[in-house]
Amino acid sequence: MAELLNAMRDAGVISEYALFGAIAQMRYTEPVATLDADVLVAVPPPQTLELLKPIYEFCAARGHRPEGEAIRVGAWPVQFVPVFSRLTQEALEEAGSADFEGIPLRVVRADHLAVIALSVGRAKDFARILGLLESSSVSREQVARLAARHGLAEAWTRFEARFLND
Amino acid sequence: MTETRKLLERQAEWQKGLAALTWPEKVHMAEAVRESAAQLSRARSPMTAAVSALRHAGTAEVTTRQAKNDN
Repeated sequence: MAELLNAMRDAGVISEYALFGAIAQMRYTEPVATLDADVLVAVPPPQTLELLKPIYEFCAARGHRPEGEAIRVGAWPVQFVPVFSRLTQEALEEAGSADFEGIPLRVVRADHLAVIALSVGRAKDFARILGLLESSSVSREQVARLAARHGLAEAWTRFEARFLND
Repeated sequence: MTETRKLLERQAEWQKGLAALTWPEKVHMAEAVRESAAQLSRARSPMTAAVSALRHAGTAEVTTRQAKNDN
């Protein structure tokens, strides 16, 4: 997957990518169960309605076939998610590079992961925030600051009241 | 110290050990779990297929009856 993503960027099919979701979370926490790998992508202009078509074509040319809403790459169905907000755009731009068995792979920062999870707001997203806090990869203050910057201060206050305050 | 407490402490130690794995090791561990979940899903499929076949048979029977009535 790492090689494919880097090749896709080098070929100009996408302008940038970064892993997010559970696979990214595991960089900071203990392992968690997940059925797929989520990748944030920025697509170069001109952007059409078929935003992901070049990605599917690039993958198909390398033998990676669609599987539901994902593309099967090795053991993982990979979901390509175009940046969909100012928050995800920033998460993509400020993602760090991590070594995955000798290959560089861009991964969203822990604070962005937490605030994206806060913005989505399902039970498993709340569990992700708690996991990130427990692993000390991000502090409550960092999440609060980033959440406030992206209009999620109220959501963070509700989360703290529900899960963190005694 | 009760047995339960010892068990919980061992579990906590085990979980801390998991967090100390490298990122690729954790991803490979999740990969193994994913395959197990997929196998469970496949194991369920004969039942799903049976239900689907029964539904299909029911639809076919209704269609046959309708054809007979139409004639």
